[in-house]
Order: sequence, then C-alpha cells, then structure tokens
Amino acid sequence: MKILMDKILREIADQAYYASRLRRNGVQPTRDRVFAEVLAELEGNGDAMRFVNAEGRVAWKATPRLRDYLKDLELEAEEDLEDEF
Amino acid sequence: MHDGEPTTIPLSTEAVRVNLLRLEREWEMVQESRDRDAIYGYLTAVFELVVCWAQEGKAVQRACRALYLRRHNSEREPEPFAAVILCTADRDKVDDRMRSKWSRVLRYAAEFKDLDEPLRDFIKRKGGINKCAARFARRLGRGRQRRDN
Repeated sequence: MKILMDKILREIADQAYYASRLRRNGVQPTRDRVFAEVLAELEGNGDAMRFVNAEGRVAWKATPRLRDYLKDLELEAEEDLEDEF
Repeated sequence: MHDGEPTTIPLSTEAVRVNLLRLEREWEMVQESRDRDAIYGYLTAVFELVVCWAQEGKAVQRACRALYLRRHNSEREPEPFAAVILCTADRDKVDDRMRSKWSRVLRYAAEFKDLDEPLRDFIKRKGGINKCAARFARRLGRGRQRRDN
C-alpha cells in the first residue's frame, strides 16, 4: 500500500523514518510501517486527517490546527531574523 | 455512496474523538458567523469525514463508534452523515428534520458530486440545500422507490 500524504506530513514521516533507522536496535521497520505509526499518532493528536483525494483515493493531510501552528512558527522565525539585522 | 478500499491504518478511539471535536469547532464557527454561507464549511467537514470513512469501507462502523463516544443510543443501523451531525451540531439548533435534510443533501452529493468540485459549489449549482434534499428523494430515496414499484 502506498501511503499518500501532503508535503508537511511527508516531512514529519520522513524524519521519523530516518530516526528509526538511526536507532540501530537490530529491528529495521519498513518505511510504510513507520509512516503508518506516525500518521496514526498525528491523527490521534489532531494534527493529521484522512481525506479522499481527487483520484478517489484515501490520502492524508495536515489539519488546519497543525498548519496554523507551523505558520505561527514561521512568522516568529521571520520576526526574530528581522530583529537580528 | 459505496464502501471502497480497506485501509491498513486503524482509526483509534482518540482519533474519532479528535475528529468529532474538529467538527464541533466548525459548528461553533457557523454559529459565530453572520455569513449565510458559513454552514457550507460545517457541511463540507462532515461530508469529507464520512466520505473518507466510506472509502475505507467503515462508515457505519465508525458512525456507531462516534455515537457511542457521544453516548447516543442507536438501536438501528445509523446513517453515517446523520450520526456525525447528531454528534457534532447543537441539538437545540438542529432538530431531527433539519438533520435528516442535511443528511439527504450529503448523500446526494456523495453519489453525484465530482471529487474535485467543492461541496458548496455543487449544492449551489443544484439549486441549494432544499433542492438537493428534494433531488435526493427523487433520485435515491422514497420517490425513486415509488416509481420503481
């Protein structure tokens, strides 16, 4: 099964996958398994949601809540950068 | 609406609860808004959630879970759109008739709307909420059954 997701979630899932590989505890979970676990956790926290995309397939996207949070972080970072110069 | 491909990512109880909370917030935004079109934001959120459940082949099962979480007893098999509306909209403001009407509109859209057309545009193109509810009755509901007999 190919898990479809938007750019924000892809970034988070990729990070989780690489982190799981670095643990090197002898168990190497598959990429899809890590993605599935991350998405389930994000969904339970209200940060990810399923939807049916334009091709009629179930895909995943960041919730408005997570998008707003990331936008706020971005604005704060820009303000900090402006203050430095 | 047809149940479709099964998913391998299970929906946790917490995720059902979070989804209901998200829709409750959408409903509160409708209540706070003076925009007549604000209701479409809420209906779109309900529509997308239930269509996704259906696509995963679990609309009725998850509607039952939502009703259970909100302590609503359901002896019959619930209609998923109506169940989610019952769980997330204020019962004092949305009575049985209104809920039934919105459910018919959403079932009509689930059957005839193109995937890439926004729900609001579809409903408006079809003459509005009341017209869509009537169209459902003619095409998919009791009106059709009467004609078929």
